[in-house]
Amino acid sequence: MKKASYLLRAGILSAVAGAFLTVTASVAVADYPEKPITFIVPYSPGGGSDQQARRLQPGLEKELGVTIRIVYKTGGGGAVGFNELARSEPDGYSISNVVVPNIVISAKGKDVGYKPGDFSYIGMTARAVGALMVPKNSPYKTLDQFVAAAKANPGKLTVAGVGNTGEANFAELAKILGIETTYVPVSGGVGKMMPMLQGNHVDAGMTSSSHAVRHRATVDTLVIAGPGSSAALPGVPNEPNWTYITTWGVMAPPGTPADKVAILNNALNKATADPKVKEMVEKNGLQQMRQTPAEAKAYVEASIKKFSN
Amino acid sequence: MFEGLMQALTPSYMFWLTIGVLIGMLVGTLPGLTATMGTALLVPFTFNLPAGAGLAMLGGLYVCAMFSDAIPAVLVNTPGTPAAMATAFDGHPMCLQGRAHEAIVASCFASAIGALFGAGCYLLLAWPMIEVALKFGPPEFFWLGVFALTIVGSLAGDSILKGLAGGGIGLLISSVGISHGNEIARYTFGVPELRGGVSLVAGLIGIFAVPQVLSMVAQLRKKDSIADYHPKRGETLKTILKVLAHPFHIVRSAVIGSFIGILPGAGSPIAALVSYNEAVRWSKDKSGFGKGDLRGVTASEIANNAAAPAAIIPLVTLGVPGSSPAAVIAGALMLRGLNPGPELFQSDGTLVYSFGWSLMLAGFVTFILGSLFAPYLARIIRIPLRLLAPLIMLLAVIGAYAIRNNIFDVYFMFGLGVFVFLVKGLGFHPGPIGLGLILGPIIEPSLVQAMYIAGATSIGNVFFSGTVNIILIALSVLSIAFVVWTRSVDMMKDRAAPKEKDRSVNGDEDK
Repeated sequence: MKKASYLLRAGILSAVAGAFLTVTASVAVADYPEKPITFIVPYSPGGGSDQQARRLQPGLEKELGVTIRIVYKTGGGGAVGFNELARSEPDGYSISNVVVPNIVISAKGKDVGYKPGDFSYIGMTARAVGALMVPKNSPYKTLDQFVAAAKANPGKLTVAGVGNTGEANFAELAKILGIETTYVPVSGGVGKMMPMLQGNHVDAGMTSSSHAVRHRATVDTLVIAGPGSSAALPGVPNEPNWTYITTWGVMAPPGTPADKVAILNNALNKATADPKVKEMVEKNGLQQMRQTPAEAKAYVEASIKKFSN
Repeated sequence: MFEGLMQALTPSYMFWLTIGVLIGMLVGTLPGLTATMGTALLVPFTFNLPAGAGLAMLGGLYVCAMFSDAIPAVLVNTPGTPAAMATAFDGHPMCLQGRAHEAIVASCFASAIGALFGAGCYLLLAWPMIEVALKFGPPEFFWLGVFALTIVGSLAGDSILKGLAGGGIGLLISSVGISHGNEIARYTFGVPELRGGVSLVAGLIGIFAVPQVLSMVAQLRKKDSIADYHPKRGETLKTILKVLAHPFHIVRSAVIGSFIGILPGAGSPIAALVSYNEAVRWSKDKSGFGKGDLRGVTASEIANNAAAPAAIIPLVTLGVPGSSPAAVIAGALMLRGLNPGPELFQSDGTLVYSFGWSLMLAGFVTFILGSLFAPYLARIIRIPLRLLAPLIMLLAVIGAYAIRNNIFDVYFMFGLGVFVFLVKGLGFHPGPIGLGLILGPIIEPSLVQAMYIAGATSIGNVFFSGTVNIILIALSVLSIAFVVWTRSVDMMKDRAAPKEKDRSVNGDEDK
């Protein structure tokens, strides 16, 4: 009896030791990543960036074989989270959501503790063009009607958007249309802007078309940005010269080694290739993207150039 | 609707709901862990469940956290979430009188009533209520904030001037960070962490927990524990009857809670504060408020719990979350490819209704579990102060850090806490400072937005027209007039009977 239990214990011990050895061996082969990766979400839980992080989390964990810890560092329109990432160790164990052009505009002409061009970009994964929306019961049924009213009463129509980013992006459209309106900046995200629009407290609202798709039961879209029409918003005209596109991606602190960025990029693109992820992205009114780190960097630099003046 | 009830009552749904309630109990009790963070942490686990069961779990957490935040408010004068600030005003004095068990059971029963009422609105009145809520734009929110600010009159303690100054300090602190509209950095002193503003939760922990711990340390030699607690038989039933003795008070608190809860951006903290203020105003005998009046506790708890299911109403009718936890629930639905909003009402009506029933059931489960735990929770106050003080401090630090993972929030908590401890000695009440902190983020952005809109028309048009504006302005004026009137009546009484002065002055509950 005693002997049997001794044998059993020895057996368990050696099995545990064996398992331990195989684990250490496999760690030695691929030494990155070997511990959990912190994924900073610089915006509130439930928002677009949180959604992106949650969508990608299972795929990234599967590909990288480590836990992805999602941490919210909110405030200052993303500036607090971006700052935190900029100051993190560039060892590949800290990554963050990034929204372009929001990060570019957040740092424009101010010292916010980071420079958007310095980060190590892993890749952009989804995008949505801009959209100008009106409430369902608005007197303006088409873009032409809206423009005519704005021209007849310069500065009298109100257009809401989110913060300075919204202002910069709407200014571009207003210039193309040759109209003058009153911009109403909303802080705290699109969730705070939609009720203002649904309750007719402003004449129009401007944000990403993904929100126009989500809220199509209560708001109508007058125009979207970019060269093509959208399958999710049939019959809505597009303005080719309006270049407002919001892009969601993932980045690492400045100076993260290129081989680690490459490993992360590979895992990211495998995570987005999952059909379930693809379906979710489309249902939420977004378009999927696939980039190499070099393409992502070039993309951000183009945006910095666009908003430099 | 009936199908939804059947679904919500299936054992697996009830099981996950109960798990959610239990987690909510923990999350709400620990200051700094809010319902928002609790639901966000739970979302990944809901993916393996059917959509309705996942929602039941999240809803259970949300509803229960709106009760359990009363536990630390009662026991150690520190609200578990901002929504329980008003609960502490009378809940903690009750605890000091040895009525901790009663206060917790009352909170729990009040919470169940609130959840029942809020969920009833969700199931039956969602559409008509949202029509009224949509009338609230930036100027209406501004006036709502101003009206809420008049609550200073009920919280101010012995000096209205000190109350106003406290409210002003709170508002001023809430203005730290990047400004609304023009996005200029204010009072940031070059510290990057301050750009994001100060954390309301960390601030409230600082205002309530730190002075509490400091006064515990100061009293170490005089007192061994916070208060005495002797378990009594039949306390639960007795308390329930006491709560039910004020039916009008219950309905008023529930109506206020549900309606303010439905307004996107206002939320449970304001619902609880307005309800508390109305309880003071409507009651014939006001002298007990702030000193352990049971109605103060139930006013706050009925309202903040009614506000929780109500905050889901804009989500299912407009696709807009009514509160931060509701935003997380919206995210959880979207990650499943479901689009919260009127479309969901049509495509998955059963899911929408089963969620409503789950929110109602969450109230029942919260009551059962809460009243079971209450006697054990009440024993916490018997812990010797020399152990309890460091424990509260530890939880305060963890809570202040956890809310945004920002060490700066911990420094802020300490700084504000020491400040409040010092000014308390000068006769300032912490309530108005907390009120300013809560209302600043509502008043300022809505004022800025309304001013931009006024730029397109006129100030008179935006701020002083419209039924809702007029009603809110009238309520604010009445509220101020009421405070002035009662104070002058008190003063006249004092002059007439100088010997009775001690009774008519609302003293600081800690003394």
